[in-house]
Amino acid sequence: MSRIVAVFAAVTKNTLRSRVGLFFSALFPLMLLFVFGTVFGGGFAANWAPMLIGAFVMTNGIVALPTIATEFKRRGVLKRLSATPLSKLEWTLGNVLSQTLLAVLLTVMMVMSGWLVFGVRPVVNVYSAAILFSGAVLFSGMGMLIAGFVKDPEAASGLGNAVSFPMMFLTGTYFPLSMMPAYLQNLAQALPLYYFQSGLKAAMVTGDVAAALFDLAVTGVLAVAFIVLGSVVTRWREK
Amino acid sequence: MVENAITVQGLVKSYGCLRAVDGLSFEVNRGEIFAFLGPNGAGKSTTIEILECLRPQSEGLVTVLGNDVTDSRGAHGIKERIGVLPQDFSAIDRLTVKENLNLFAKMYSNSTDVGELMELLGLSEKANVRFGSLSGGQKQRVGVAASLVNDPDLIFLDEPTTGLDPDIRRTTWDIIKKLKQSGKTFFLTTHYMEEAQALAERIGVVVKGRFVALGTPSELMEKFGGQKMMIFKGGGQPVYDALQARFDGMTISGNNVDLPFSRTAEIQEALSALSQRGICCEMEEKTPTMEDVFLNLTGYTIKAGGEAA
Repeated sequence: MSRIVAVFAAVTKNTLRSRVGLFFSALFPLMLLFVFGTVFGGGFAANWAPMLIGAFVMTNGIVALPTIATEFKRRGVLKRLSATPLSKLEWTLGNVLSQTLLAVLLTVMMVMSGWLVFGVRPVVNVYSAAILFSGAVLFSGMGMLIAGFVKDPEAASGLGNAVSFPMMFLTGTYFPLSMMPAYLQNLAQALPLYYFQSGLKAAMVTGDVAAALFDLAVTGVLAVAFIVLGSVVTRWREK
Repeated sequence: MVENAITVQGLVKSYGCLRAVDGLSFEVNRGEIFAFLGPNGAGKSTTIEILECLRPQSEGLVTVLGNDVTDSRGAHGIKERIGVLPQDFSAIDRLTVKENLNLFAKMYSNSTDVGELMELLGLSEKANVRFGSLSGGQKQRVGVAASLVNDPDLIFLDEPTTGLDPDIRRTTWDIIKKLKQSGKTFFLTTHYMEEAQALAERIGVVVKGRFVALGTPSELMEKFGGQKMMIFKGGGQPVYDALQARFDGMTISGNNVDLPFSRTAEIQEALSALSQRGICCEMEEKTPTMEDVFLNLTGYTIKAGGEAA
């Protein structure tokens, strides 16, 4: 447990000290919220805040996290850590928890900004917290899976974007899902982000507990699966 | 009976049809400094990574501190008790020296005081400086400190002083010697033959995955270092002519005459011959070094980066 906490603390500090990383992980989502909210009004912001939160928690998990993790791998930091008793699962969990904390911070900033600027008051309850946690773990696990497969940060960023962009558009982050043809709507339901965003919306906006619990179950199962897969495929060094 | 720190029997590591390590057998005693030398591609790093439980072997038996490296529980026990300084050590750039060392310390069940360690390695002033801002030599010292955070019984040092200036290199040697006195075992690779000679009690020279020599520095120098040489500086042709009839194997390089010898009596004889002809010149004795041993065994010298030349 202490090793997981140590990894969590180290990678969190490392992320928070990166100005470029912070801009894209935290400030950029806020800017988008302000732009959308200003153009389309507070009602739009209320509906879209969960979608943006979902999209950026995903992006941070499957683009930023594997980029950093593969940079550690390329520079030999992971190889050095592998000579200690640290296990792959502990390394994975430390990183996943760090991303989860960052997801919570991002959400708090988005919710506070939406409230202060647009007067949006989302429902904050145990369901929204559980969905957020589950989604953050799910996409961080997915990020660790990507980091295990690719060799360097450039490839990690490329693959992460190749996975995240289609998911963002197909699940209705930037335009309503109802505008899409039926087959794309069906495809969206096969994507993890769909359940995360749907769960966030159900818990934070509509207050539909049953829908939130269903989405929580789906994201929870996927989260466990991706953490296990992520730790199995983790490689301590470049081949 | 005290078990060896390392026991290796018939170690083989193959990559397809290439045998990177080809049947190595050796032991490292507890409390010993063992140097493992060889040019790049000789199989040193592969062997070390097998000993550190980072890479599985293809064949052979390897035990480290009494644990089999292929057994997962044994590997965990080994990792708790070894310290590792890899080549090109790197840590997390945006963490400070102290934060990085604390991270490594927390990986172990038992760890030593990070503050004391920084003091030992002259890093106290850099404690709150980010790793990414350090010079190459300072980073290397952080690497040495990281290899000691768990107060290990056995320490693997892969090129510990590469990139360090001569003063810091000597200081690092002193630290290694001091730690050895406290009973620690060192497995060292280096491209500096002088370093191996100064620190190691035994040296193994490996080429193409096989030992070509294994012994104490003096044994190796005696066996493979070649003859001692007396250099008559500026002696030129007159010295050469005076000694030519009595000695074989003399050479002239520039204006110096090199006379190979094995007994002091031979030098006395040479001096007497020169004295009879009224020749007087400066002399310098050149004894074999580990550089000579390496050159004679492998056919090339080794540059700082490890490349054969």
